[in-house]
Amino acid sequence: MEYKTTLTTCTYCGCGCNFYLETLDGKLTNTIPCKTSPVNEGKLCIKGWNVHQFVQNDRRLKKPLLRKGGELVEVEWEEALAYTADRLKAVTAEKGGDAVGFLASAKVTNEENYLLQKFARAAIGTNNVDHCARL
Amino acid sequence: MLDFTGIEKERLRARWVSSAEAPEFVEEVNAFIDTLKELGPSPLKAAVEAKKEEQKEAPA
Amino acid sequence: MIETIKQHVAGLLTEKKIAGFLGLIEKNGHVAPHLFKDGESLAGFTLGDRKTAGDARYPLNKTLVTLSRAYPEETFGVLVRGCDERGLYGLFRLNQLTEDRVIPVGFSCPAELSEACECRKPYPDSLVAGEKTESSQLKKVAEMDGKDLARRFDFWTAQFVKCVKCYGCRDVCPMCFCKECSLECEDLVAKGDLPVEVPVFHLTRAMHMADRCVDCGLCDEACPSDIPLRLLYKKTAQIMDTDYGFTSGLNKNERSPLSQMGPAK
Repeated sequence: MEYKTTLTTCTYCGCGCNFYLETLDGKLTNTIPCKTSPVNEGKLCIKGWNVHQFVQNDRRLKKPLLRKGGELVEVEWEEALAYTADRLKAVTAEKGGDAVGFLASAKVTNEENYLLQKFARAAIGTNNVDHCARL
Repeated sequence: MLDFTGIEKERLRARWVSSAEAPEFVEEVNAFIDTLKELGPSPLKAAVEAKKEEQKEAPA
Repeated sequence: MIETIKQHVAGLLTEKKIAGFLGLIEKNGHVAPHLFKDGESLAGFTLGDRKTAGDARYPLNKTLVTLSRAYPEETFGVLVRGCDERGLYGLFRLNQLTEDRVIPVGFSCPAELSEACECRKPYPDSLVAGEKTESSQLKKVAEMDGKDLARRFDFWTAQFVKCVKCYGCRDVCPMCFCKECSLECEDLVAKGDLPVEVPVFHLTRAMHMADRCVDCGLCDEACPSDIPLRLLYKKTAQIMDTDYGFTSGLNKNERSPLSQMGPAK
């Protein structure tokens, strides 16, 4: 019997609400907003309340998907990255950097987001950068 | 509870009428319609719209 | 007070009367729910009082339900205030917990907190530490009842329209355990619509709380829009009390009038 509460920060937006993720024997069971957090004072929005549900969900994507013949197919990272690199090169060579855009995510670290925008601006040459948590 | 939240409790009526008592049912519905006509339209819809607008103008 | 409780819990744990004690711990500068498993590890144990009494309370009963569903054969101890114990009684009645698998360890709330809560019974039956206090009741309900219909209408419409439909009041509620919730039934509540249907959404929940709500006030504290939900449920509780002489969780083994046939008592 291993019951644990882990204090963490919501990955959904830039507010940074704190909550406890409740785990029982390694399985996430619930989200409890942190009462003593100065950010959210024991409150959450509907996304925060349900944050534990996607982590161990069967329908969560674990591999990249590539559209082949109109359908999304699971592929290995190697193939997905090679394809992305090829297309990025092709599109930017033909139409310039502003022909592509980059969507960052709240579910990765700050550093990774920094890298993504740096890559967009320095390597590709576009300011088309946006983020899912830009509230 | 309706009364507590400021809605006239006359607007809700629950009565048991047997399926064999059609006249009583008609009488009941007619009486309720009369009550509702007397009360007039509920201010609820307009009030909700107004509050929504207020919220938009002054976000908390 | 806290030392008495600690000793009591340590006793229960070393005598192996309970598999674990569900309480609160001071961790990383915050208060968190915690399962204490041996008497030695009670360092950090706290009652959930930070700046003011009871400002860091958590729905421990909710976790207890999860725990005992996973380990139905084990007995657990749980930290309770008056309201939490009412919750336990309610959960026994609704067959979500088994009475002989739960050992409540109770403490009373200070007068200041009881008064703020207008608590019906700010101390549990299983009182291990603390003094029994009393408080005035239903003052805020009476205040609301004193206003005229139009003022009440204005007040509640303004409150309900603020709802962001986070379902926090339901998710935090220790008495909400249904697998299917009326508030998620698409025939009753339109999906993705804001504001919610006033006042249907909130009154639906209030009706469902009628024989359940133990007046712990966690919904009030969890509401990001500061809707005075507790006041609403206090009114339903008052109606249940005056019409049926029933208060959820006040007396152990008392059955709800809503689950009985026959004329009201």
